[in-house]
Amino acid sequence: MIDFTRRKVLGVAAGTMASAIGTADLTQPAAADDAADLVLFVKLSAALTGIDAAQLAPPIDPIQIKRAYFRQAKTDPGFESLMQIVRANPADPVGAANKIMNSSNQQIKYLGRSIILAWYLGAWYQPMVLAQTPPPSPVTPLKVISPTAYTQAWAWRVAQAHPMGYSELRFGYWSDEPLPIEDFVKARGA
Amino acid sequence: MRAEKADAFDALIVGSGISGVLMANRLGQANKKVLILEAGQNLPPDINDYMNRFFMATVKVPESPYPPELFSGGKLTDPASLNAGRPTVLSLEAKGRPGDWQDPKQSYLVQDGPLAFGSSYERVNGGTARHWLGTSLRFLPADFEMKSRYGRFTDWPIKYDDLEPWYCEAEKEIGVAGDAEEQNAHLGITFSSPHPMPRIPISRVDMAVDAAVSGLKVPGIGLDKVQWKVSSTPAARNSQPYQDRRVCAGNTNCIPICPIQAKYDPSVTLAEALRTGNVQVWYRCAAAAVVVDGNGRVSGIDYIQFDGDNGPVIRRGRLTAKIYILAGNAIETPRLLLMSKSERTPNGVANRRDHNGVIGKYLMDHPLYLAWALTPQPVWGYRGPLSTAGIEVCRDGEFRRERAAFRIEIGNEGWNFPIGDPDTTTVDLVNGLNDSQLNKDKKALFGPPLVKELNDRLSRQFRLGFLIEQSPDDSNSVALSTTAKDRLGLPRPRISYNLSDYTKQGLPAAKIAATAIFSAMNADQFTLAPDPDDPSSFPSPNDPTTRLKYFGAGHIVGTHRMGASATDSAVNDMQQSWDHENLFLVGSGTFPTVATANPTLTIAALCLRSADHIVRHILT
Repeated sequence: MIDFTRRKVLGVAAGTMASAIGTADLTQPAAADDAADLVLFVKLSAALTGIDAAQLAPPIDPIQIKRAYFRQAKTDPGFESLMQIVRANPADPVGAANKIMNSSNQQIKYLGRSIILAWYLGAWYQPMVLAQTPPPSPVTPLKVISPTAYTQAWAWRVAQAHPMGYSELRFGYWSDEPLPIEDFVKARGA
Repeated sequence: MRAEKADAFDALIVGSGISGVLMANRLGQANKKVLILEAGQNLPPDINDYMNRFFMATVKVPESPYPPELFSGGKLTDPASLNAGRPTVLSLEAKGRPGDWQDPKQSYLVQDGPLAFGSSYERVNGGTARHWLGTSLRFLPADFEMKSRYGRFTDWPIKYDDLEPWYCEAEKEIGVAGDAEEQNAHLGITFSSPHPMPRIPISRVDMAVDAAVSGLKVPGIGLDKVQWKVSSTPAARNSQPYQDRRVCAGNTNCIPICPIQAKYDPSVTLAEALRTGNVQVWYRCAAAAVVVDGNGRVSGIDYIQFDGDNGPVIRRGRLTAKIYILAGNAIETPRLLLMSKSERTPNGVANRRDHNGVIGKYLMDHPLYLAWALTPQPVWGYRGPLSTAGIEVCRDGEFRRERAAFRIEIGNEGWNFPIGDPDTTTVDLVNGLNDSQLNKDKKALFGPPLVKELNDRLSRQFRLGFLIEQSPDDSNSVALSTTAKDRLGLPRPRISYNLSDYTKQGLPAAKIAATAIFSAMNADQFTLAPDPDDPSSFPSPNDPTTRLKYFGAGHIVGTHRMGASATDSAVNDMQQSWDHENLFLVGSGTFPTVATANPTLTIAALCLRSADHIVRHILT
């Protein structure tokens, strides 16, 4: 039986502290960003995560976490192949997401999963680690992408809660039922 | 700022944790001149530095926000490279694995076993109460009288009534929100004044447990007579603005760090102490030895000041004062005393052999049994303070003649403690795995089904933590390593640790209680058995085919115990050394027994009582 406690996540942590990347590097706009690809990346992310694009990247977006994830994904060797699928289906990101997640190309499929996990957990799980057989137990991230990524992670909102250490709620809220899930997470396209 | 003349001090205090700062503040308020030596760093100018360290940590453990760095060069930092090292829960892994509990290159504590000592501590401004939960329960009257009531262990030299006024004082000092009437009704303990703030509201998780346990019958020694009910937990966490600090916003992060300081930490009291103008702190100053003169009085403390976590020594010196207060924790204080060997003190300071030398002995903790389950309907964890209620009604009874008692802490953080969620379940559902046990079909989801399934799992998670009373055993001890040192060349603590049969019997009882509570809630239990090589596990005393795991609770207790006589204790009930009248050893190291309540409020009450005594009778 596996004694799977948070303490066992050690193996990972080692690499991560050393390789932590400054947040500023990831959140600043850069000329290299392909604006059109970024738009497609957000649409694809909505299809992959099940969360509406307007929540992932609001029209007025002071946080711009999408850029951090876009740049992180771009470092992966499978990124160009993945984006080719999205570019070929610009009006159908859901169709593109289905192709990616059912792709026989492991590089593309697992990069799709890494992108989902980045949005949900604010951390970068390397596609090659997710693809390992047998899988490592536990699977651990290369790094938390940035402090902002941690505070913007969607898994907490899906739990109808907030990131641990980052509550925007008021005293005593925990005694009441939370708002419905639909108030936290709008389904894609909603 | 440096003292112009060190011997101008009335008191020299080692350690800026809750014990040290409470003593310093009371002495400072009485116009006594105080110097605190702290081996760790001062706080950063911006608390967000600590928050960002926490956010960026891939493994979020109690030590994560605080210096020194847990990792260097892709490995756990070698404690020999640090001027002031500390334990981490990351070095409690089985032999041969990363985090090997007995590898001195990974573990600050040199652990002799046979079981692992699972608690860690901080060496930084505020000490370990930087990462404490805030739980502020009083001990029960019986907790002070284990020998006379149950024929077990030893009695304290004081009773509940002696400490009661000081509990009131401590609750005001650190700002406790609680419901004294409920504590009285559930536990029969008296309060001469109510808590300074109304209680923290209980959570939806607490309500679900409370609804299920009413009328519950649980078989087993000491369980069958319990009238099960949930009690709100008194906590040093603001339910109203208090001490110029904000009301709790339910960040669910009391351990390791409250981002808005709604939870009390010792820097609150330290700031007050510094405002008296009578108190100074020297950071990055490690006490290296306590010096005793020919009259048996302490005449100085040798210190080493250094630059940074790994930097060079800047200065060595000796500081003098009228009295000396050692306020490290129950590992660092005996370590310092045992390092202080001389011709006059061949066995270490405050440790005369003709007094049976108890320094370092009777090390205790609350071995914590963890159980987790999924409720049939959502209870919405990951919301509110980490814990807002517990089950306290099982903390005392005749059964304590036979087995360890426990209290039950209800967690509000889903399965974060047990399995590191929400990460583990999210990865499982995205990558088609089942480490969480919540994705049996190993489906790999994306899109709306991922939102739906993850919401279903996370909103139904909760856990119970059982804080088990540990017996005081003289073989559980802190000594000095003869081989492992820190960067200053000082010997690191060497720990011998085991659980007695009495203590072990608390775990199967906890397991029975957990199973009964989950069953009453129609909740599915997912508690995992430990690996056979887990150093924090042992075969159940009642069923050797089953292994039981415990965690450290961070409650380090008992290594310079108080007592009624010099022959079986290190200090008297004022925490004053029997051997050296101007030496005080304060903190949970003075507890003769650990009982079941989290220790911090009792530490605070004892310190305020001792400070009052010092002001009235010692530094007159």
